[in-house]
Amino acid sequence: MSDITPIRIMMTGVGGQGTLTATTLLAKSVLAAGLPVTSGEIHGMAQRGGVVESTVLIGCKSPKIGAGEADILMGFEPLETLRAMPYLRKGGLVLSSTEFLPPLAVSMGKMENVKIEEVQARVAECTDRAHYLPCQSLGQEAGAVQSGNIALIGALVATGAVPMDKETIAETIKANMPAKIVDVNLKALELGFAAMSEA
Amino acid sequence: MANPLLAAEGGATHLLLGNEAIVRGAIEAGIQVVTCYPGTPSSEVPDTFYRLSPEGKYYFEYSTNEKVALEVGGGASLSGAMTLTTMKHVGVNVAADPLMTLAYTGAPGGLMLLSADDPGCHSSQNEQDNRYYARLAGIPVLEPGSAQEAKDMARDGLVLSRKLEQPFLLRTTTRVNHLRGPVKFGPAPDPGTPAGFTRNPSRFVPIPAFARTMHERLLDKLDELRKEAEKSPYNKIYGNGEIGIAATGISRAYLTDALKETGLEGAFKIMELGFTYPLPENMALDFMKGLKKVIVIEELEPILENDLRVLAQEQKIDIEIQGKGLLPRTGEFNVTMVANALRAQVGEQTFECDSCIPSELPQRPPNLCAGCPHRATFFAARKVFGDDALYSSDIGCYTLGLLPPLSMADFLICMGSSISAGCGASVASDKPVVAFIGDSTFFHSGLTGLASAVFNNHDILLVILDNHTTAMTGHQPHPGVEKTILGDNEHRLDVAKACEGLGVTQIRQVNPLNQKKTLAALEELKEMSGVRVLIAREPCPLHARRVYKKTPPMIAYVADSCTGRAECLDKLACPAFYKVGDKAAVNPILCNGCMLCLQVCNHIKSKKRGS
Repeated sequence: MSDITPIRIMMTGVGGQGTLTATTLLAKSVLAAGLPVTSGEIHGMAQRGGVVESTVLIGCKSPKIGAGEADILMGFEPLETLRAMPYLRKGGLVLSSTEFLPPLAVSMGKMENVKIEEVQARVAECTDRAHYLPCQSLGQEAGAVQSGNIALIGALVATGAVPMDKETIAETIKANMPAKIVDVNLKALELGFAAMSEA
Repeated sequence: MANPLLAAEGGATHLLLGNEAIVRGAIEAGIQVVTCYPGTPSSEVPDTFYRLSPEGKYYFEYSTNEKVALEVGGGASLSGAMTLTTMKHVGVNVAADPLMTLAYTGAPGGLMLLSADDPGCHSSQNEQDNRYYARLAGIPVLEPGSAQEAKDMARDGLVLSRKLEQPFLLRTTTRVNHLRGPVKFGPAPDPGTPAGFTRNPSRFVPIPAFARTMHERLLDKLDELRKEAEKSPYNKIYGNGEIGIAATGISRAYLTDALKETGLEGAFKIMELGFTYPLPENMALDFMKGLKKVIVIEELEPILENDLRVLAQEQKIDIEIQGKGLLPRTGEFNVTMVANALRAQVGEQTFECDSCIPSELPQRPPNLCAGCPHRATFFAARKVFGDDALYSSDIGCYTLGLLPPLSMADFLICMGSSISAGCGASVASDKPVVAFIGDSTFFHSGLTGLASAVFNNHDILLVILDNHTTAMTGHQPHPGVEKTILGDNEHRLDVAKACEGLGVTQIRQVNPLNQKKTLAALEELKEMSGVRVLIAREPCPLHARRVYKKTPPMIAYVADSCTGRAECLDKLACPAFYKVGDKAAVNPILCNGCMLCLQVCNHIKSKKRGS
């Protein structure tokens, strides 16, 4: 187990968005690929519309990622991508959705949200390895907005940054998700993979 | 298909949440009785047992509070049942009374108390270290650091507890409860039926004459337990060097990763402890032999650190022991923190992660959901009492009423304190006191406070926010619920009747979504003195959707006539609202159809969902 170079993946999103479902799917895929995995999540107050952070670590014992420790940051919502940037080591890989779920203060007109261009510019100050996908749109195209998270996992696999192929993810979706949402998620996986491969 | 957690055969490997792993471990031990009061980060343990209970070979209950849970668990174990009782760390404060005595009486069927501690206060009011309780009571402690260990320690601890007839503490931290990792299953034998009770008053009835002997028996048991710790597979020493590293619980995971990260794998002698109390003294002496210095890596309190100091002093060992001087006494550790502590020991430069700078961004605080009936109650109470009253809050979703614009929490101590601390405040202050308590918290520890309030004739308005469930911790049942995921509650306790039985004479019941009636009831109760109760009854919309299979047919929308007065945005803070230009709007997907907003502004109308 200790021969594997550790890969630390930080995932972030908004409560109710399906971040934890995506995290567990990725962790199960790592296990299915025969690699040592730990994963972590924080429940509780965060579920009431707050930020949800979770982790998948390959070749590590710890389930936690500290500041500057993440090799990969997956942001299911761009404001949360930016908020989680301190977890990323400089030069790490960023995969992010471009579509905002505005926080209450913004939707109530009390605060200005950041623009996607600002997110991209500030990410670029830390790393030149960043890719952006319209996750919610891809999810809708696949048949359910939540499956946009799986599209981002498709994109992750397409970058080659994790030692896993698309088929392993697909098999894990088939083995673990309820039958009626399998096809939607398989399609989202393909859409995310294709979007990345074309980029 | 039967749930894999209940499978009789072993051998399979599953990716499990730490809390699910504890469930499997208990099943592998042959668990017969499970009791609990839910609380993050422990809740998935009882919730999994509850969900599986129709198929499981164990008795399960949600008790009304942690004291009751441990007493039911203790009684079951005294009668020969292998028992698990689960709670969050602050729950052990509530259960401390039976805990102390159960260490004296012992637990013939086996008894494990799960205490889920919360370093970093992810979802708690403090970060108390419950390893102190083990020392106070005299009960052994197991501290898992992975999902596999969570499973194995739950199993082995229960088996050993039954063998030695002493209760065990399984002490986890949030990271362990909520990590996921591969778990290899062992076999799960049929638990059979409990052995039954064997009468022995000198052992089980702690009158002073017996208690003195019971205390001596406990000290003998702790010596026996120490021998078990000496040979426990969860305790090990490896590596060489002049500097020793001792680590417990999840810190062992950070240590393993930090050693790899720094390339210092061979530089230290290491002692990992999973069975941490009683301290395996011979092992610790073996570890300290020849060392110049020991670094102790444990989150929160310097407990192992001080245990080692005491041992070194007793044995006249000249050794430097460091822990809290190097690593913090608050919050959680991480790999970089531990790696830097290691680097400093060998004179290497500490490594500051070259991370990206945090940005000033709009916050995303947790908030009462769209359609939450608490918002309606708070809105009405603010209208009637404004800033004139003192608002005594309690523990639940409604603590979020703290946030502006509702601002409905002035002080909070612990579960049930809204009533009793409210009474105290009313004695010392000339302001009216309005206390808020949820239905589950009311049954948990509000009843005794209310009886005392009536008896002492306090001047307090108690608002019971009855949303028919324990919403905050994941919608667990309590005595007052109508329905659960498994069906109707056939032994329902009525909140109003309970208040009446406790001697409250002024009780009003309203649906808070009816603002007119709620305001009228509050105005009426405001003019009275003594103990008054308003019961605001309306199910949590998440619970209603899941268990009642009910979603309101109508939703709200803002008419074109909106004048941009923005009272809806400014005073309700409902997450379904947003601003477009100068006008308010309602997100039809988020709107739950509670129609509170229609009672706040004439320009908000209702329409059929989906129209």
